[in-house]
Amino acid sequence: MNLKETLHNTEKFLAERMPVEKMNYASMVQKKEVPVHGLAWGYYMGGLAMFFFMVQIATGLMLLFYYQPTVSDAHASVEFITDQIPAGALVRNVHAWASSLMIGSVLIHLLTAFAMKAFEKPRELTWVTGVLLLGITFGFGFTGYLLPWHQIAVNATKIGLQTIEEIGGYLPGQMAEWPRLAKEIIQGEASVGQATLSRFFSLHVIILPLAIFGVLGFHLVSVQLHGMSKGIDAKPRRLEKFFPTFLLKDLRVWGIAFMVLFILGACLPFESLFAYPLFEPFDPKGSTPDGIKPEWYFFWVYYPLELLPLWVILVGSTLLAGVLLATPWIFKNTNRQSLRLIAIAAGIYLIIMTLFGENIYHLFKG
Amino acid sequence: MRTNPFITGFTALAALAFGGTAHAYPEFQKYVSQKSGRTVNCAMCHMHSDGPEGAAPGQIGHLTMGEQAELGRARAAFEPHANVKSPILNAFGNHIINSLGKKQFLEMRVTPSELANKLPKDSDLDVDGITDVDEYLTGTHPLIKSDGRPWLLFKVNLAANLGQIVLMLAATVLGLWGLHHLLHGFDVATRLQDNDEESG
Repeated sequence: MNLKETLHNTEKFLAERMPVEKMNYASMVQKKEVPVHGLAWGYYMGGLAMFFFMVQIATGLMLLFYYQPTVSDAHASVEFITDQIPAGALVRNVHAWASSLMIGSVLIHLLTAFAMKAFEKPRELTWVTGVLLLGITFGFGFTGYLLPWHQIAVNATKIGLQTIEEIGGYLPGQMAEWPRLAKEIIQGEASVGQATLSRFFSLHVIILPLAIFGVLGFHLVSVQLHGMSKGIDAKPRRLEKFFPTFLLKDLRVWGIAFMVLFILGACLPFESLFAYPLFEPFDPKGSTPDGIKPEWYFFWVYYPLELLPLWVILVGSTLLAGVLLATPWIFKNTNRQSLRLIAIAAGIYLIIMTLFGENIYHLFKG
Repeated sequence: MRTNPFITGFTALAALAFGGTAHAYPEFQKYVSQKSGRTVNCAMCHMHSDGPEGAAPGQIGHLTMGEQAELGRARAAFEPHANVKSPILNAFGNHIINSLGKKQFLEMRVTPSELANKLPKDSDLDVDGITDVDEYLTGTHPLIKSDGRPWLLFKVNLAANLGQIVLMLAATVLGLWGLHHLLHGFDVATRLQDNDEESG
């Protein structure tokens, strides 16, 4: 294949995935229809994830007014927000709950989109950008965890960064140095300190938001251009109009999500789910308290990491990332029933490791 | 090997009573940990999470002359209601000493569960709706409002915020109702316009 042919094929591929001729009100809103069937609830998960993301932006901007990204003041500023600022505790708690709910929604969205074969041609790039959004969302979680600068935040980040460095032991030649260099770039100094906090803060409030705006923009335009995927092999019960029928239902789901979030934010401090010594300010000279672990959405990889050799997790994670990104091509000819079974198995694994990962760890390690 | 900061803390609390002689009382730590299943440390009663020994803020080596005098008065508080304010104890630690006196507190080391029986039942220092006695028994911090058994905190906060929740629910329902009509209005207007264009 010569260069001209390659360019022509690329142009054709992109033109099919981004049909700009459909970029008008009639195609994207007026004529858009949504299939109604047993799995149709999955269509609401993407919007729900976006709702929680918008809550994160609103509450995050409010927290930015008072949060101090310095090792001396970070924890005190978080306490100040919680104890002194009117509604500060509510805003901070809603931010914490919405982050977990956003990641939960994104994971369910991924599984339902997979089960509905929503990555089918011409939606391959919609799927790939969705996987990238999942990675960025995890990045938000990892970087945001450090910002309050308490015991669990700093010690868990140390463990996470240490794991990156250990990858070098499994790489050949010059590549063995790359993870250490990556860790140094992220950490910024010999140990987790001011440079790390500054970098995590920049990532959390500037770099990742810019990245997510770009990728999410493409993802949303792509969804609107191609419409909702068919979702099932059989004929849907009926088709309903996107505007206003589906949009109104979507808004009702957002209303319910908002109320759940408000009640959680007002009534159940996120911190109450952890033992209190973990929330004391980080003391570099103090002993490491028991119970250090990442946020719940990393349990699916954290507990296997504690139980199995690192190389097993590395191979598994690399394969998983590759399979996720290449899903539209790997599962091109797989029927929806099989995809549904895979999605259910993945969901069961995530639930078991999240709820019982610690018990499984103690079962094997004593 | 790591030292247990909770034991260090109770050692220092005992040192208060015996004028500097350190005695370890792991019974309280064992009792709270076993009963609650949670990790606790010296910050439950002390200013510093590693206890009073050391030179960090809240520890003996960091005290000013005035604070040392305060500490001396606290050390002599063998009887209850002495109204002392030890600079190395937090509000809960001082609450224990002021409520029971050091003599009674030290006697409890053989029956640490008695501490919950002897402390005032209605005291709630962090005003989170869970009494200090319950927080001691459940291994949560009596001075941190956001720390408590999640279900208990949820029930208490739900009752306290019910008014705001009802108002927010009303605002959400009304907002959705308004949006519903607004979007239907747009839909009808668009269809009418389309019909006009088709007929015209």
